[in-house]
Amino acid sequence: MNTETSETTLTETAINAAHNTNFGRRKFIFGAGLTAAAVALAACAGDDDNGVNAGGDDEGGDIPAGDLDILAFATGLELLAVGTYKAALDAATSGALGDIPPAGAEFVQTALNQHQEIADALNGVLTGAGREEVTEANADVKAAVVDPAFAAAKNFGDAAKLARTLEIAASATYLKAVQSQLTAKPIIRTAAGIQSTGQQRAAILNYVLGEYPIPDTFQKTDAAIAP
Amino acid sequence: MQTRKTPNQNERTHLSINERALKELVVESEDLQFDALRDMKSQVAELQETAFERRRDPVNQEEIARFNASRRSFMKRMGITGGGIAGKGLFAGAFGTALAGLIARPASADTALDIQVLQTASALETVAITTYEAALGLDFIKNGNKVIIAFAETTIQQHSDHRAAFKAQTTALGGTEQNSPHPGATQIVKDALPGLTDGLKVVQLAEQLETIATQTYVENTTLLEDSVAKQLMASILGVETQHAATLRAVAALLEGGAPELIAIPVDPGKLPAAAGSVGFPEAIEPVTNALTPESGAAGAEEAK
Repeated sequence: MNTETSETTLTETAINAAHNTNFGRRKFIFGAGLTAAAVALAACAGDDDNGVNAGGDDEGGDIPAGDLDILAFATGLELLAVGTYKAALDAATSGALGDIPPAGAEFVQTALNQHQEIADALNGVLTGAGREEVTEANADVKAAVVDPAFAAAKNFGDAAKLARTLEIAASATYLKAVQSQLTAKPIIRTAAGIQSTGQQRAAILNYVLGEYPIPDTFQKTDAAIAP
Repeated sequence: MQTRKTPNQNERTHLSINERALKELVVESEDLQFDALRDMKSQVAELQETAFERRRDPVNQEEIARFNASRRSFMKRMGITGGGIAGKGLFAGAFGTALAGLIARPASADTALDIQVLQTASALETVAITTYEAALGLDFIKNGNKVIIAFAETTIQQHSDHRAAFKAQTTALGGTEQNSPHPGATQIVKDALPGLTDGLKVVQLAEQLETIATQTYVENTTLLEDSVAKQLMASILGVETQHAATLRAVAALLEGGAPELIAIPVDPGKLPAAAGSVGFPEAIEPVTNALTPESGAAGAEEAK
């Protein structure tokens, strides 16, 4: 997996947060769990000589409390996704879901890793801004959506539908945040980037489930979860 | 974990495409598109009511100056100079003839950043539409996989709806509709022309365009001040990114010699493991391929 480019966005966020919270830049970046390669890319952030909107320090300004609240909520959703995919792996290993297609196993492991990566990154921003790290998955969504669906899942298809539900809901939540809730540019960029990859996973799940991968012309917010 | 054995080339069975089911899916998708577009048109109408006031909003000159500097650099990097990309006689064949229509028509420059962002988006949609349309005229596409054809046709419609919405909002904000294609993206297509010898390469080009659009919208969404414009671009990036993910999966199946698995519905047990991850290579969408907000704006060709 190429993590360097995705971390560029996060690093920009981290840099701005570091500046705005008087945290040391290096300390913040490593606190966010980013790599040395990302640090090198961070040095280039804001250099638009290549025609790319790298953003950068000029987007500064304190991260508003409302933005941080939304990130904290989103982190709880990411941790819920991590927990759900872990549970799916455990169930698959035990044989409770029957035969798992190779592509299905690959999807679950990759999605799990990505959601953990996102949760770590968001927690890096939160702690860099002086907030507490979020360590608990969203309990309300788990109780209302995940637990009942998981208990009823008998095969790979059932588990894939649950995964799709979570991916669509999470992506719609980020979409809504980007559209009307977030205000800091680096945070909007990061949220939109997470929204994007959630939609990608949903498209692949649609395909694997035998459906057209891109059912909507405009992504909807119907499934967004309210903080 | 219990896994199904991935079939090798000889074990793969050809899956007949259930065209009726596919058409039903596409019809259903089109119904959803209609509903979404209706909602979006309502938003555009709402925007038009406030357009007059917004037209008088001051432009952030510092922000524009910064992006104009990056635009010049971008144009230079793309090799787009004063002579433009038209008239060089480099378009050849049916595909090239179709793409010749992409050549930009300069218009008066709009400077408000929101308008530039929307015009650039319209220009990117135009390139996507024209490229898919041209691809459908290629023998190895039009005589090839039915699902790829249906995908291209449906995607053209979706991009057309996106462009219509971007244009409507451009005029709602007092700007000029951008009817020309994006010069930088056009250059990418032109550069790819000589190598478009099979379906895989066409799919890869389409994926590249979708990725550029996605990342451009991710980045440029952060620049929009108008709330409805921001809503529109964010909702569209969520669809372009699905086009890109699907095309990555299709490309992987073509590259792996399993075109018969490009089917709806597909038997997931026959898909290779890589099909489960190739569509979403990043945890967070990067913006390394994002194009600058004014790079496809009206007047971009004149200003270089």
